[in-house]
Amino acid sequence: MSPRALFFAASVFGLMALQTPAQADIDPQELVEPIAEYKLYVLDNLDQFVSHTEKFTQAIEAGDLERAQALYAPTRVYYERIEPIAELFADLDASIDAREDDYEHGVEDPDFTGFHRLEYGLFKEQTTQGFTPYAKQLMTDVNDLEARVQDLTFPPAQVVGGAAALMEEVAATKVSGEEDRYSHTDLWDFQGNVDGSQKIFELFKPLVAEQDPAFVERVEENFTAVEATLAHYRREADNPKAGFVSYEKVSETDRRAFVGPVTVLAEDLATLRGKLGL
Amino acid sequence: MSDRPDNTSRCPFTLDRRRFLQGLGAAGAAAGLGGSAWAGSRDDAAGAHAVTGAPVSTTTQQSHPFHGRHQQGILTPRPATGMVVVCDVLARDRAGLERLLRILTERIAFLTQGGTYPKRDPSYPPADSGILGPTIAPDALTVTVSLGASVFDERFGLANAKPKHLQRMTGFPNDALEPARCHGDLSLQICANTHDTTIHALRDIIKYTPGLLMVRWKQEGTVPVMPPSPDLPAPSARNYLGFRDGTANPNTDDDALMNALVWTGADPDEPDWTHGGSYQVVRIIRNFVERWDRAQLAEQEAIFGRRKESGAPLSGGSEYDKPDYANDVDGQITPLDAHIRLANPRTPGFEKHRILRRPFNYSNGVEANGQLDMGLLFIVYQADLEAGFITVQNRLNGEPLEEYIKPVGGGYFFTLPGAIDEHDVLGRSLLEATAPHA
Repeated sequence: MSPRALFFAASVFGLMALQTPAQADIDPQELVEPIAEYKLYVLDNLDQFVSHTEKFTQAIEAGDLERAQALYAPTRVYYERIEPIAELFADLDASIDAREDDYEHGVEDPDFTGFHRLEYGLFKEQTTQGFTPYAKQLMTDVNDLEARVQDLTFPPAQVVGGAAALMEEVAATKVSGEEDRYSHTDLWDFQGNVDGSQKIFELFKPLVAEQDPAFVERVEENFTAVEATLAHYRREADNPKAGFVSYEKVSETDRRAFVGPVTVLAEDLATLRGKLGL
Repeated sequence: MSDRPDNTSRCPFTLDRRRFLQGLGAAGAAAGLGGSAWAGSRDDAAGAHAVTGAPVSTTTQQSHPFHGRHQQGILTPRPATGMVVVCDVLARDRAGLERLLRILTERIAFLTQGGTYPKRDPSYPPADSGILGPTIAPDALTVTVSLGASVFDERFGLANAKPKHLQRMTGFPNDALEPARCHGDLSLQICANTHDTTIHALRDIIKYTPGLLMVRWKQEGTVPVMPPSPDLPAPSARNYLGFRDGTANPNTDDDALMNALVWTGADPDEPDWTHGGSYQVVRIIRNFVERWDRAQLAEQEAIFGRRKESGAPLSGGSEYDKPDYANDVDGQITPLDAHIRLANPRTPGFEKHRILRRPFNYSNGVEANGQLDMGLLFIVYQADLEAGFITVQNRLNGEPLEEYIKPVGGGYFFTLPGAIDEHDVLGRSLLEATAPHA
């Protein structure tokens, strides 16, 4: 094949998500089951989130710095997975997961609470001293979140849009390492966002597979690529629970290797609502 | 953070209330003009939008041909705004690089000629950012694609085809290079009559190349706009030190001169695929403007070797008159270390070191010391990087101007030859030259 012919062959893969999309032809009834499944997923993760937050906040109240540090990232993972739903409650999202950049006075701002306020204490100041009020507040907020989600009717557009929203989270704050700047546990959050996005994609995949098999294949390939790079940085190859090494250990090349598939996932998953007529 | 569904804008009551309030505002304004804004449901009373109506340009339909032996944006007259965006190529293999070059070619061909985007089902993201409205005017847009030395590594099988002089930029004695604003795999020089046209083009290119390109750094710039001048050639634009810049550029209408100085091809040691391309040098050169504005005029003029107001050489005449160094061997009139005298001593044989300058002025913000962060987005093109910029800059090292400037970023790139017609793709000659044997 001549190089010129190669160009034309390559153009088959042309504009990816940007081809003129087909009109969605989905019966709204078909959405009921995956939405119900997703609510179960969220509730299950919330359940875990509550129990992990109990242990995490108890460690702080008991003054056990080492244990609190160890529990910080494994607790957050559950929140990161369900962010599309958790963020519906803006007041709680702010008090649970805001970062110091969200406040003009940064760490000193009296309104700055939640995980990242505790992160600053545990990892930067290396102390639990004086953090009991923040721990108690976090526990209250997390219990409140669970109660509110129990009563929530999940809006389909929010759920389906969540797949892309989670990848936007990764693209905006995880790849740069700014989310967990003191604990450097970004890869845990990264994995949580990817898990949550992939779950939504898997649940709705059967509804789009026939309409656009190339889309499904591309999304799966890019999830695989992200997972493969993440796998390099697991503490124990066969034990996902052992988590990840510090984000400082991630090479510049691998940080860049994340950007490609994450950006394509964000572009592709942004069309999922359109494909489902939402 | 929050993405809470917000339906208030669809609430009819809210809408009516807003219109009501707007009506009150318009009535208040109209009362003074003796009119009434109560009639009708439209917000287009004469004068109502005098403040926010779009500014008007008569040059939005200007366009430059995309196809040709050389890329646009080099000999093209420099418009009022430009930016350099340097990216890393994320494509993981040769097929990905080919796809990138094909998409870039398609996007640039479209953007520089203008047109409309396909309409989408509204449940999908739109095909375009929409910042220029539904119809894109060309607005003299040019996008020029160049490759850095790093792209000729093992990733894409290009290692044996690197242009002879292409290299990673190294710091000169007065440089204080910031790694975050240096080097990169691929540069895009985007120029247009208006800033928003360049931003639109950049956002389009980013949207259509996901997973293939990652922006590494970007620097925007402008050129001061002048009223039409009866003088020919038109006076050169001024930089942020207040001096005319580019006066000594070679004549771009002289094809033989361009083939000698700008377009790579005369050197038999250059790979054939480079013919019709050019070496691009980009430098972000900070100017210490507060200090400069406190320097005496005589010193400023001695530093450059030109009159500030007219751009004329210190030896006399007007802007485009050649400086006379033959009768000033001691530098009594034009100091021997004046910028223009070092950069081009006008000695026999120096002709081959001339470069084509195409710079923009930039203004970014404020430094911690309260001084303005502004300077020159220096862009030059030459057929031979060593004979051109590197030779000239080495002659300038230690010049008195250094007290007022500090290069902080940039890189060396090779501008690809042009795409000759609608079947061609930017980078074709490079990919053909490096094609794996079938």
